[in-house]
Amino acid sequence: MYSTLQKDRTNRTEEYNDSGSLPRGSNRNWSSFRGNFGKRNPRDHGGYEPWPSHHQEHDGNMVMRDVQEDPQVRWTPYTIRHKNRRVKWHNEDHIQRAVWRNRKPLEREVGDNTKDGTPGSWFKITIPYGRKYDKTWLMNSIQSHCSVPFTPVDFHYVKDWARFFVQDAGPASALRDVSYKICGVENQKISIIVDPSAEPYSVQNKLEPEEMEQLKGNLAMSKRYDVSQQALDLQTLRFDPDLVDHDIDIILNRRSCMAATLQIIETNFPKLLSLNLCNNKLYRLDGLSDIIQKAPTIKILNLSKNELNSTWEVGKMKGLKLEELWLEGNPLCNTFRDQSTYIRSDGQELPSPIIVDIDIPYLIKPCKVRKKGKTTMRYQRRFYQYYFIYDSGDRRGLLGAYHDEAYFSLSIPFNPEDSARSSLCEYVKDNRNIKKLKDPYLRVQLLKHTKHDIVLSLCVLPRTQHDFSSFLVDMWYQTVRYCCLLFVFKVVGKSQSSVRAFTRTFIIVPVSNSSLCIVNDQLFLRDTTPNETQSPFFMPVPTPTSRSMPTVSQEQQEMVQSFSTQSGMNLEWSQKCLQDNEWNYTRAGQAFTTLKVRSWESSGFKAGCFWAFRKARMVEPSGLGMKLRELALLTS
Amino acid sequence: MKASERRECWGLLLMDFKTYVDQACRAAEEFVNIYYETMDKRRRALIRLYLDKATLIWNGNVVTGLEALNNFFEMLPSSEFQVNMLDCQPVHEQATQAQTTVLVVTSGTVKFDGNKQHFFNQTFLLTAQSTPNNTVWKIASDCFRFQDWASS
Repeated sequence: MYSTLQKDRTNRTEEYNDSGSLPRGSNRNWSSFRGNFGKRNPRDHGGYEPWPSHHQEHDGNMVMRDVQEDPQVRWTPYTIRHKNRRVKWHNEDHIQRAVWRNRKPLEREVGDNTKDGTPGSWFKITIPYGRKYDKTWLMNSIQSHCSVPFTPVDFHYVKDWARFFVQDAGPASALRDVSYKICGVENQKISIIVDPSAEPYSVQNKLEPEEMEQLKGNLAMSKRYDVSQQALDLQTLRFDPDLVDHDIDIILNRRSCMAATLQIIETNFPKLLSLNLCNNKLYRLDGLSDIIQKAPTIKILNLSKNELNSTWEVGKMKGLKLEELWLEGNPLCNTFRDQSTYIRSDGQELPSPIIVDIDIPYLIKPCKVRKKGKTTMRYQRRFYQYYFIYDSGDRRGLLGAYHDEAYFSLSIPFNPEDSARSSLCEYVKDNRNIKKLKDPYLRVQLLKHTKHDIVLSLCVLPRTQHDFSSFLVDMWYQTVRYCCLLFVFKVVGKSQSSVRAFTRTFIIVPVSNSSLCIVNDQLFLRDTTPNETQSPFFMPVPTPTSRSMPTVSQEQQEMVQSFSTQSGMNLEWSQKCLQDNEWNYTRAGQAFTTLKVRSWESSGFKAGCFWAFRKARMVEPSGLGMKLRELALLTS
Repeated sequence: MKASERRECWGLLLMDFKTYVDQACRAAEEFVNIYYETMDKRRRALIRLYLDKATLIWNGNVVTGLEALNNFFEMLPSSEFQVNMLDCQPVHEQATQAQTTVLVVTSGTVKFDGNKQHFFNQTFLLTAQSTPNNTVWKIASDCFRFQDWASS
């Protein structure tokens, strides 16, 4: 397996040499340390190797030449040397050292094999006779004993031995320490062998040269790369039409694709300032962490709308000197709902906190009730009037509410499997669900036009009783072109046996001050959701005038009972009506009937305030997410 | 007005009721298909279906204007809509001042990424914008609510 790999690698090496485009690695060092990090002197960082003096005097070109003098130094990670696994690095020349200044001293104690300390270098972890252990148990044991979290790559068995790869000397040396610490079933100690190695297969860039060219071209396009801002936009890269057309599948979650992309960034956009990786389903940043070496100038990193689960992932990007980090839309945001933490870099606090806006990756919280203006209140009252008549048993009173040429239709959700269900069957014949109803004739028939037709069809619908306390109104007023208002109600309506919910849409034209004129009316009926049935149906609606009901005699109670049955109102309202009419049953009945007829003319109900204005719970509509001030990357 | 234009204009009495309703239904069906597909698969293009001054009320949260709508839809997680019910009515011209408008009401289920599935109700007001070649429908108002908003 390795011989093939070597071949590939050699080819690539040649390709790089041929193209003549060398990474301007050291040049990047300069640009990353010039600039606005005024308060920090790079050389004061703990553990950081001071720059050799000759570097300070040179501009970028000179520095490049230094790199050219040691070409093999750059490419060693990609070639296998069976004899000499040690990789020599010149301390002064490479920014890679800069990243190591944060590593714990532990690494300096590692054995010779891991001394190269190249970040991004790979190590092969071998467990002799690993095959006889259960893989999950083995990996979990190792993880729990290992002081550094690591991500195993390409776990496989070589005869009876288990093998996987890890990146970076930190985890590698920590794994070495785990050797002989874990006991197997027969109480034997499990040894772990750590060797430097080449890139595992799955990680390598697998794109053909032509595909690389294509990708490079794609990334260089102005839709992706903004030269003035040094910003590269790789949002949803996989579905880029140009790449798709050429059958190039760049799934950035795959190490190989990420490696290819980073390679291009390194050669073509080494001074990149801003990188947008939004919406690429990234759940691991192991591959992306290579960018710390390849494009260390990045200041703005957008990782929003990915699948990052924990800050540990984000911590892999620690080597970058970020000014902005976007993480909204990731699962890890759940843990940050109302805490503030700080970005730390190099183990030190930044001079000024980085302000990151993070929205909770939920949907906006549904808002029960919006703040109601006068208009809304006024119209809501008229709706209560409407429903009072609707519930009364004689809907002819609604004629006054409709425009002459109004429209009405109703629909119910269509479920073929329960069309036999009794709950909504009374409405089935009037159901106008044009998703299912294709007959154009019926489509026209079921749309009621003119107020008489409408009221006629309303009259034959089953009797209802509405729970006013469950009303919810979404309403808005359009002044620009429309003088219409839209109402959506959600109400539990009861009819004899079953409780249902509905959504009603009205379009209203204002005619005079106290009246309604409905031009469009659409009713959608459905079964209630479980939480809707929890609220008791006959919830007494608070009346604005009287808080406590005076005690009533037995006789009066009976009157209330029969009045309620006759009028269709609930007991509280019936009692109120009777009280307001001094317990004169006939008079109360007349008053009730008169009110029904005259409801559209009168603007108020002087006889006893039948209308209880439900005290709307004024809930502040939730804003579009919360803002967090700072974000911390927890160090391990 | 040309005869062809006359045929196109809905509000005029010359057109018979059946054709009027028919056209509204066809426009609604077509629009709804496009809308939810765009919402699910090409979210960034969704904003093109809205008028400049369109208003969205999303579970009680008000979003007005294209820019706010754009931000809103970007922030919304990716969605999978399933429409089970669709009804539409032509809107009377008295409410719309001669702008051809259709009221569209839909219902179904939606699953937003990272959230459970919800039943929803949505109401659109669509306005026709006629060009010489065809008629483009755009959303003037949009009202969306989960059926179980109270428990969310």
